[in-house]
Amino acid sequence: MRAVLTALAMLVATSAPAVANCPLDLGRGLGWAVFSSQHLLAMRPDPPQIEVGEPFALLLNVCDRRNQPAQLVAIDATMPEHAHGMNYRPRLIDLGDGRYRVEGMVFHMPGRWELALDVRSGDTTERLTHDMMVQ
Amino acid sequence: MTLRWIAAGLLIAIATVVIAAAREPAPTFDEAERRAIAAHGPWPPAPRRDLSNRGSGQPAAIAFGARLFAEPRLSADGRLACATCHRPDRDWTDGVAAGQGAVPLDRRTQPLWNLGHAAWFGWAGQGDSLWAQSIRPILDPAEMASDARRAARLVREDATLACFHRAAFGAEPPEDERVLVDIGKALAAFQETLVSPRTPFDAFRDALIAGDAAGIAAYPDDAKRGLKLFVGRGECAACHFGPRFTTGEFADVGIPFFRRSGGVDPGRFEGIAQALANPFNRLGSHSDSADGAGATRLRHVERQHRNFGEFKIPGLRQVARTGPYMHDGSKPTLESVVEHYSTVSLDCLHGNTERLVRPLGLTPGESADLVAFLRSLSVEAPLPVAPPATCP
Repeated sequence: MRAVLTALAMLVATSAPAVANCPLDLGRGLGWAVFSSQHLLAMRPDPPQIEVGEPFALLLNVCDRRNQPAQLVAIDATMPEHAHGMNYRPRLIDLGDGRYRVEGMVFHMPGRWELALDVRSGDTTERLTHDMMVQ
Repeated sequence: MTLRWIAAGLLIAIATVVIAAAREPAPTFDEAERRAIAAHGPWPPAPRRDLSNRGSGQPAAIAFGARLFAEPRLSADGRLACATCHRPDRDWTDGVAAGQGAVPLDRRTQPLWNLGHAAWFGWAGQGDSLWAQSIRPILDPAEMASDARRAARLVREDATLACFHRAAFGAEPPEDERVLVDIGKALAAFQETLVSPRTPFDAFRDALIAGDAAGIAAYPDDAKRGLKLFVGRGECAACHFGPRFTTGEFADVGIPFFRRSGGVDPGRFEGIAQALANPFNRLGSHSDSADGAGATRLRHVERQHRNFGEFKIPGLRQVARTGPYMHDGSKPTLESVVEHYSTVSLDCLHGNTERLVRPLGLTPGESADLVAFLRSLSVEAPLPVAPPATCP
């Protein structure tokens, strides 16, 4: 199931009142919140600015609808207009409590990248997506 | 009589085209185009140090590297120096379709401009650092055909080279392989200093950002039209991105990958395997970065089927002076390169490849404009000044 809404948000604990107990403790900074009826995911890049062709990491928190930590199963990114993905395989590091760090991301070309995030809680698995423009 | 009429008709047609071109208003650029143009600068960029190379940015290592670059005794037969193919007087390439090492080679000699900002080296990206890539031709039986023992002996036994080595890296290591690595790192330190000069495009780009009308007007209209195609309909800037006009990655652009010597050139598909297996890569013991800084790409690079037949996206600075073109040197002129992208057959591309590559269907005028823009990325570069001689 695709995310029903994606939004640019300030990643502070108050950014999503409906799930205020979810540990969105990514620190201050610009990032994104992606959510469906089942999951809420907050993320921000490290370093804060994504540059074309430069490696970056993503810090993520994943929560379910009951405000409990959920699991990030996989992450990938593609350029739909160009029919290709990344040239690099990111590594997903589980930091516990629904917190993750993904290393080895590289958007090697300018344009629209579609991030695909497979998340799971209990028996529910779904794919959330988020578009990112890199210039 | 008929010939006269034909000639007269042709003259009228040419005159009409010339008049039409003369009346064409100077191209202008919208906000998106201005942003895309701005992304190709500023130039030159700030120097970047390679943390895996303790000689990077160090004057003594640069001087040692400059000396080694012209040193034919690094090759097995004593006749081939780096500078034999990467000629300082030819924008650090050789002007021929395929290189010549100990034997004829399959790929074109790449110019060495602006490598201090690159991430992968060689047409297939088989090197993940400039120093690893500098060691490669010394050991390659098809190129300089030497070995660590011979290279180390040269530096130990030649008093001048030994002096340069000590000045750059301190006490001489006992292992031949470590001396060879120092040679590669010095060569890299020298090559990092090869930054191409500012060009008419850079003056225009800066004027456009500053709103300098005189600076904008000084850039020829045909180059402006070509630039508009480059960042617009042609989508060239998707791969030839940024100040160096390359993303630094790899692409299949429909050039046949059959080798002159027979068989096929797998390009990036093989390059990734070579980079991962290279004992001199950034994850190996010879890196001067203890925490593997700068090795992120190597740790995460993924070999995929679509890498087969992909080759390095070359930077375009000094492009008018560094032909012939493509990895195999099969395109002799910029006109022939533009013609390729104008008429490329999709049948020449491998499956699952980049959708950006498709026939652009350029008119002769558009092709000429694109070439005019590409020419504006080049100027005559002064020959490098030899570093001060620190050793007798």
